[in-house]
Amino acid sequence: MRRLLLIARREYFAYAKTVGFWLSLLVLPAFMAIGAMIPTMMDRAAPVRTIAFVDLTGQDKAAGLKAALDGRWRREQVRALRSAALAEAGPNGGDAVRDAAEKAGPEAGQEALGRLAPGAARAYKPPKRNLLVVEPPPELAGARDPDAAGRLLSPYVAGDKTLTGGRKLDAAVVLWMQGGELKTRVWSQSVSDEGVQDAVREALEETVRRDRLIAAGVSPEAVEALEQVRPQIEVYSPKAASGGEVGFRDRLPGIMGFALGMLLWSSIVSGASILMNSVIEEKSNRVLEVLLSSASTTEILAGKVLGVAGITLTVLGAWGGLGAFLLYNAFPGIAHDLVSVLTENGLAFYLGLYLIGGYLMYAVLFAAIGAFCETPREAQTLLGPVMIVLAIPIVVMNVAIRTPDMPILKILSWVPFFTPFLMTARAPTEPPLVEIIGTLAAMAVTAWIMVWLASKAFRAGALSTAKLDWKSVLAMVGGKR
Amino acid sequence: MSAALQLEGVVKRYGRFEAVKGLSFAVQPGTICGFLGPNGAGKTSTLRMILGLTEPTEGRISVLGAPDGRMVRDRIGFLPEERGLYRKMTPVDTVAFFAGLKGVPLGEGRRRAKKLLESQGLGASMKKPMKALSKGMAQKVQLMAAIAHEPELVILDEPFSGLDPVNQQGLEQVIRDLANRGATVLFSTHVMQHAERLCRQVVLLANGKKVFEGSIQAARGAAPRFLELEGALTPEDVAGLPGVVGVESIAREGLEPGVMLHQASLGLNAQPQEALKTAFARGLDLRRFEVKEPTLHDAFIVLTGGER
Repeated sequence: MRRLLLIARREYFAYAKTVGFWLSLLVLPAFMAIGAMIPTMMDRAAPVRTIAFVDLTGQDKAAGLKAALDGRWRREQVRALRSAALAEAGPNGGDAVRDAAEKAGPEAGQEALGRLAPGAARAYKPPKRNLLVVEPPPELAGARDPDAAGRLLSPYVAGDKTLTGGRKLDAAVVLWMQGGELKTRVWSQSVSDEGVQDAVREALEETVRRDRLIAAGVSPEAVEALEQVRPQIEVYSPKAASGGEVGFRDRLPGIMGFALGMLLWSSIVSGASILMNSVIEEKSNRVLEVLLSSASTTEILAGKVLGVAGITLTVLGAWGGLGAFLLYNAFPGIAHDLVSVLTENGLAFYLGLYLIGGYLMYAVLFAAIGAFCETPREAQTLLGPVMIVLAIPIVVMNVAIRTPDMPILKILSWVPFFTPFLMTARAPTEPPLVEIIGTLAAMAVTAWIMVWLASKAFRAGALSTAKLDWKSVLAMVGGKR
Repeated sequence: MSAALQLEGVVKRYGRFEAVKGLSFAVQPGTICGFLGPNGAGKTSTLRMILGLTEPTEGRISVLGAPDGRMVRDRIGFLPEERGLYRKMTPVDTVAFFAGLKGVPLGEGRRRAKKLLESQGLGASMKKPMKALSKGMAQKVQLMAAIAHEPELVILDEPFSGLDPVNQQGLEQVIRDLANRGATVLFSTHVMQHAERLCRQVVLLANGKKVFEGSIQAARGAAPRFLELEGALTPEDVAGLPGVVGVESIAREGLEPGVMLHQASLGLNAQPQEALKTAFARGLDLRRFEVKEPTLHDAFIVLTGGER
């Protein structure tokens, strides 16, 4: 035990003292923070573009387009309000905020947000309106056709002329009628800026649809009511926490299962890879033989596995701790739901066992592979088949989030090499106890066999200098070389 | 007194290849034993079996009274042929870590490490990473790591390779000190001068078989003695002397015209003085006559059948 702990300690500090470790510890939260901030920052940093409508239709079609753009802007505000409410107040709260904003305007939506998600309301900043409709230059009043209008608009859009008050014109939309059809031409300062085009296209679609419906005899009020139609679907299940209607809390286990399965997969693969590289380094530095003369293979393997597990847990602990802190402070409702899912029915306990079993199986396998290799390139030769096996649960876990009880998923869960990931993905949806105990037992037996085999392979590999392929590896493990 | 190390009929096979063939020898406590043999003779395989790193296919090994080296690994110090340490660790941490694996508490290990490293002139480098040290310095650190726990049996696989003459001399002194402290030292080498200076006992191995076990003196006795004769002699004159079994004539600069140097090997029980008497009796023009005792190197060549 003394040797095992000493080897684990050395292994832990060998990584914990490196710059790379601290970088990897900080990089993920930093990237997540940046990733979360970038869309908002980009949105806020985007310039306000001015757009003018030059209406040559004689039917004031520009008014309809302007109204459609206003409607688009309102919908953006409603979406932002719902998104802000979602994390703290859940989907139902988000829908309530959306309904309030749709019925009585964004101010009412903000008020509902303050009531239903006070934390989110404090941090909420309304989106910025990036498209500002302005009056066209006065000389455009004399334009009679789109080409003439274009000639007059061109110097403004190019930036050679400015609007009254020195304001620049970024884009202009010329509207005219041709053969009874509304035609549109967009003049834009930039050839690559499609934002204005998209906004105009959407507004135009809405306007044309509305005009045609009215032309077909539908009253404007009916059209307005039609635009607001949103089918409401209420999902009920006897398995729901409320005993009836399915809410976010009921969907959370499935989402968590997938997330935890992926986390487990990446932790096991990264931990096992760290371990393999460590063994490769020791093999190439000729340290393994001295280690083998000082400690048993089991002590070396277990010590290294424990040391790297410490590293993995440190990283997960730091990330988890930071995530929990942020979650509790920003979205206590979701944090509470997460904790309740984890603690219900001993889920955290099962997850711990799957993590240990999965890590043990793959870590010793990777370590044994490392013992045969002096360079990471050599290791790639042997790792190929292992990585193919490891890719299978990734594909299957995607299915588990929607249909955790699928027969193929149940069958694959019994394959010990897939058990940790698939059962983790399925565990929050409460698979039968017999499956949990059975798969855990099969995984434990396999892990034990893997440790035994890996110990033999580790010793054979550590002392060998033979050419590297699976045939020679098996021969060495069998004591024939 | 029971042997510190005893091998009886040890065989090691890898598939069909027999690396060690029925090897038996014993090393008494406190002895420095040279384990000699050409490359591929089976030395490293044998040392690994003694340490318990690999199991013998047949035979029995007793190490410090235990049937398996792994059972007494804390009492053994080992320096492998292919040396290497953790590149980012400091010498102090390295020595303390390996001593720790052998049961020395970390604090005590660090204290011993500092003392040992200072005694080897590595005081100034003890806190640098291993990768900043020269090969010779790193080799010294590894040796210190192998002996910091004060083992009863020290196994050194080619300890002198890669060391400059000054460091080789230093290492010889370390080995003598270990033996003086009462440790048993088994070291493999194919540089005979070190064995000649250090060992009370040598075991010679060739093609996996033991070809000699005994004292340096006895090993030398296995090789023929030589005569060096200088004079106006023909190879036939020298070959005709009693006891001479072979002659090699060597042209050497600075000799008078007609004078040559001949190196004559003697038969196992031949008496050099008989050859000298006969040379005088035959009136040979002999200017110099010298009896050359065989070195361990000569014995090694003879005993291993000329393998190097």
